[in-house]
Amino acid sequence: MRTLVKLEILRTLRNKRYAFFTVLYPALLYFFFININHSMPDGLDAKTYFMVSMATFGAVGAVLTGSAQRISLERKSGWTRQLRLTALPGRAYATAKICASAVTTLPSILVLFALGAAEGVQLDAGQWLGLVLVLWAGSFVFAALGVALGYAAEPNAVQPIVMIIYMVLSVLGGTWYPITGGLKSIARFDPVYLYNRLAVFVHPGASFDTAAAAGLAGFLAVFVAAAAFLYRRDTQQA
Amino acid sequence: MTAPVAAFRGVSKSYGKVRAVNGLDLTLHPGETVALLGPNGAGKSSSLDLLLGLREPDQGEVTLFGGSPRAAIQAGRVGAMLQSGGLMTDVTVAELVRLACAVHPRAHRPEQVLKDAGIEEIAGRRVDKLSGGQEQRVRFALAVAGDHELIVLDEPTTGMDVSVRQQFWAAMRRQAEQGRTVLFATHYLEEADSIADRVLVLHRGRLIADGSSADIKARAGARRISFELHAADGHVEEGALRALPGLAALELSGSAHGVRTVRIRAADADAVVAGLYRAGCYPRGLEVTSLGLEQAFLTITEAAEATEQSLEDAR
Repeated sequence: MRTLVKLEILRTLRNKRYAFFTVLYPALLYFFFININHSMPDGLDAKTYFMVSMATFGAVGAVLTGSAQRISLERKSGWTRQLRLTALPGRAYATAKICASAVTTLPSILVLFALGAAEGVQLDAGQWLGLVLVLWAGSFVFAALGVALGYAAEPNAVQPIVMIIYMVLSVLGGTWYPITGGLKSIARFDPVYLYNRLAVFVHPGASFDTAAAAGLAGFLAVFVAAAAFLYRRDTQQA
Repeated sequence: MTAPVAAFRGVSKSYGKVRAVNGLDLTLHPGETVALLGPNGAGKSSSLDLLLGLREPDQGEVTLFGGSPRAAIQAGRVGAMLQSGGLMTDVTVAELVRLACAVHPRAHRPEQVLKDAGIEEIAGRRVDKLSGGQEQRVRFALAVAGDHELIVLDEPTTGMDVSVRQQFWAAMRRQAEQGRTVLFATHYLEEADSIADRVLVLHRGRLIADGSSADIKARAGARRISFELHAADGHVEEGALRALPGLAALELSGSAHGVRTVRIRAADADAVVAGLYRAGCYPRGLEVTSLGLEQAFLTITEAAEATEQSLEDAR
């Protein structure tokens, strides 16, 4: 099982698409966003805000495209069947995928934080550490969603599905601009919005958003249940 | 009597309206090398899926080493190479083989597995950059990564060229010589003929023949006898030919310039020829040829097809 997890992590990091979409692309967008004039509401600091939103953008992208597409492809190719002919327990595959996802979100978070710090974002050590931890923990929600999507659709369908979900969640989630006013009532149901909200405690005068954390926990439960159901359906079919 | 390696007891499996496997009863014994033959759609892959516990039978029971297929796989007693078994991408061949060894309870050393499967020279290659035949050998490596007692191979030589195929069967024979039970499905009948101790023929999900390659040939009417009857040598009634001993099939052409061609398939060619002379025939241009397994296979499956057709017509 350890070997499988290690190999899953290694192969994801080796993949060039991964490096582009999850590290390079959010990093470039970060420079773009902080250099155009955004009117930031509520006295938010653009450099801090986009540092977080681009880190989450990269992290969500890493797990959604990574695990969903790979699982879908590997179901089609029969790799998942081949694994069922080994002594590995049935859950090993999905567990390895989630572990690999969890590790692969860290580079996008750390790179964006390094860029933010270089651009002059100032937080105390506890805030930096807390931020890394909450964003890393939050990425598990999307890792579970990625696994569910990977079991839900065929390879040629999964790519557009993932892209649409990723974009819609990002638009309503405050990835490209802070969510204000009436939009908030919709955004409350968007896990990416809740994910970004986990970072509000670093803004002056704000505290940790426990409601967002509770909401995310709810999404996590739903996605895990969906992934488990779809996984079971898949093993009965194949 | 040693315990069976695998047993199917009254196993049926349908996909929608299609009966892929229909009342299959079958026992595999330790040390046998068994070929599974059948036309496309005969239920070969479905039977292997059931054997390996990848699917559950609708009826009946499949056991491996007396227990469930899953338990046998978890104990590392079964290695399998499936047609539909994909490989992990973005890793090297050596990494994949090491993974297979790491998850096996009684694994061989990865270096040994690479050597056994004849893939040492491509060990550093990325899995996604392999040719079809190379991929097949990597799949084979995964099937022999540990000390398995049963090895299951579904059309293992598909995509291999002739020399690679020979190397592959040499590797396979070494596995069998170490006392392992080998079950393989194949399209290449000469492989079954030269390698298997036992041949199973599936047709529409039913087992229609089970025996040695020689048995199967005998059942199909293993020899073909052909000759000409000339009117000048005297008239022979068709009934007299049909009455010959050991006859499996008879084909009699119409008379052209007083010559009729006779083609006979028979399990016992000697008896047919002796009977011919005893009946007072004078066969000209007599030829007795042996039927290959391929023809035997076609004969058996055609006969099964005809029986099913007549059953359907009767309904």
